[in-house]
Amino acid sequence: MMSESTLVSGWGAPRIPLICNQCDWRYLVLVDAVPTACPHCASPEIEALAPGTAQFPYVAAPELIILFAAGAEVVSRQVAAFAEEIPVPPEGLSAEALLGSVQRLFVPMWLVDADAESLWQAEVGFDYEVVSHRERYADGGGWQTQEVRESRARWEPRVGRLARHYDNIAAPALTSHQALERVLGGYDLRAAVRYDPAALADALVRVPDRTPEAAWPDAQVGVRRRAQDECREAAGADHVRDFRWSPSYSGNNWTLLLLPLYVTHYRDDEGVAQRILLNGQTGQLYGVKRGSAARAQRRALIIGATSLVIFALSLMVALLGLLLPPLLIVGILGAVLALLIGAGALIPIGRVALFNRRQRDIPVEV
Amino acid sequence: MTQFPPEGYGPVASQVAGIEIFAPAPKTPEAAPDVVDFKCPRCQATTAYSVEDGGLRCAHCGYYEPPATSTVGKGAQEFEFTVTTVSAARQAQGWGTERRELHCEHCGAQTSLPQGDLTHTCPFCGSNQVMQLESPQDQLRPRFLVPFKVEPGDCQKIAREWLGSSWMTPQALKRSTRVADFTGVYMPYWTFDAQSAADWRAEVGHQVTERYYDSSSKSWKTRIKIVWRWESGHAQRTFDDLLIPGTTRFSKVLLERMQTFDTKALVPYAPSYLAGLLAHAYDVALEPAWKTSREEMRAATQQTCRGQASTGEIRNFSMSLDFSDESWRYVLVPVYVAAYQYDGETYQVLVNGQTGDVAGQRPVDWTKVWLAVGGMLAPGVLLGLFGVLASVLEVVLPPSLAVGAFVIVFAFILLIMGIVFAALTIIKAREMDDV
Repeated sequence: MMSESTLVSGWGAPRIPLICNQCDWRYLVLVDAVPTACPHCASPEIEALAPGTAQFPYVAAPELIILFAAGAEVVSRQVAAFAEEIPVPPEGLSAEALLGSVQRLFVPMWLVDADAESLWQAEVGFDYEVVSHRERYADGGGWQTQEVRESRARWEPRVGRLARHYDNIAAPALTSHQALERVLGGYDLRAAVRYDPAALADALVRVPDRTPEAAWPDAQVGVRRRAQDECREAAGADHVRDFRWSPSYSGNNWTLLLLPLYVTHYRDDEGVAQRILLNGQTGQLYGVKRGSAARAQRRALIIGATSLVIFALSLMVALLGLLLPPLLIVGILGAVLALLIGAGALIPIGRVALFNRRQRDIPVEV
Repeated sequence: MTQFPPEGYGPVASQVAGIEIFAPAPKTPEAAPDVVDFKCPRCQATTAYSVEDGGLRCAHCGYYEPPATSTVGKGAQEFEFTVTTVSAARQAQGWGTERRELHCEHCGAQTSLPQGDLTHTCPFCGSNQVMQLESPQDQLRPRFLVPFKVEPGDCQKIAREWLGSSWMTPQALKRSTRVADFTGVYMPYWTFDAQSAADWRAEVGHQVTERYYDSSSKSWKTRIKIVWRWESGHAQRTFDDLLIPGTTRFSKVLLERMQTFDTKALVPYAPSYLAGLLAHAYDVALEPAWKTSREEMRAATQQTCRGQASTGEIRNFSMSLDFSDESWRYVLVPVYVAAYQYDGETYQVLVNGQTGDVAGQRPVDWTKVWLAVGGMLAPGVLLGLFGVLASVLEVVLPPSLAVGAFVIVFAFILLIMGIVFAALTIIKAREMDDV
């Protein structure tokens, strides 16, 4: 099914580019670990493509990687907590089932190296301490004085000239990166290490869907932030504000950084795959929780049928009560019990409906 | 940026390679000579500050040099109590050596000066010199001053009016006393600004009238009772330019009486303001002066807190007070100083060189005071005696008993009033005598 031309090299073990025709996620996977369904949307409509095609312009091996820091214990705990919170969960939504389908995934970020030159101006702040006093008075005790020290910042203008080389400024390589960060929290990029193919093992790798040109404005924000901090450091100051510059850049060099992610999913009543994502560094989990209305209705039917049977039996007993009066009371009590049980049949339906309504506020698209 | 680096900016050290830094060049004060000698550029005679003209004037040829600085008033720079400043002020408990040798540039004479004197007039050639004393921090030099407004010639008139303004002084004082020539002196003062915020709590007494049954008289009576209730509150005060003397050379009481300097007239310090006048550096350092100012501020804040209570009956009062935005200035203020002799004793007179307010020591004629006290008590005593006499005459003249009783009551009231006025008079006389 796969020819040599479809393999991507430079990542250690050869990998195949895959595209999901359902959700358009693009991956690189190990030749001997091709998934049968998309790990994102669980669709079986995945297709192997040749590297260098329009869908896979950037398949060069990464420069840096952040390793999985959240281990199996963290994942188990988070997934179990997720599953427990759902009333009447859909079939297959259990901690065991979710953990059984967990896959390790790396998502890319662009890293750019650039030379920047600019004149700059800013206000830099120097911390200093002032001496103040706090006094207490009580009749009979007189005054008690306590010296206190307060920190203040003295702001001074500075201008300058900057000619610096900046390495590994990160910028999103996926259009969904910001949404991912919003739901999973950020990554501590200081934990990045040089790429080692062994670190990937059998993990899937998403490939960028943003061009370096599209990511450049985001990278410039990062360069500016670092330049601002360097100017503060150069001035020996504690703070900087109102930083202004108009840089010219040269020698841009783009590489990739991989961020760790766990993915798993379950299917709701409509058979739609609901994905669950975990930040591989911090263990923060995101997933849409859906109670199963169908299972709730089934439960309601069983409870309702039970109440009908009790009601019919109670009616019969009540009729016998015409002959044996004490049975009339038993029949009436039975009928009341049947009505109460019948009313209880609404509980599972109501709980699921309310729970699912509350989940609507959570952003779904990542 | 149209021009790089901008005008007035200079390079400063950078701690990162590849980044150059330029900062506003610090204003380097003109290298002030240790001693400024004031000579007329036209005739080489000695010039001095003229209060009338507000600048330097040569008494010999009439040459006039206007003041080099303009009024900054309350906008005069204030300094924070930074840790650096406070520790520098702690080190600067004085101005160095006990006495310093001064070499007169004009005639070459060598003179010895006491510590803390900022000005000097050479006793040999009469040239006016102003010393620029070294300080551990630039902020601890006098940076601002209130110039003299009252002319020296007016001080005699002010002093004579003041000497004769009290009936308690001896009759001959105003007539025969000759107050020596007033000497203009710039005295060191500290000004302090701060905001105080206080939370207080106290038991406040409220008078209530209650009825009770008196078993001894077997009747219902009323009595006034004080009911104590807890009250609390928050008070804020802003203190602007609280003046604290920076010198111990003059009586604290006299300085307090004369302390009405208006800081709206502050001008930046320039040696020319001191030419021909005396000037002293501080001998009360920043920290003790600051402590004194805080004591005044907290007393004022405490008064505000107590004033918020619903009645004046207060007990178990407690408060916590936070100071903020504390700042200070070191300024020189104008005072004329003179002394006069009376009955073998020397008395001091100070005239505020800005407002003309006067404070000083005056002898008290205690004979006049005691006569006055006697005069105050006499009506009550005499009327009382008359009342007693009238009561005694009741035996021969029965209606006089009622008249006598009425007179005794009236005499008692007069006597109480006399005692109050006499006490106030004695207190005032003692205050005048104790300065």
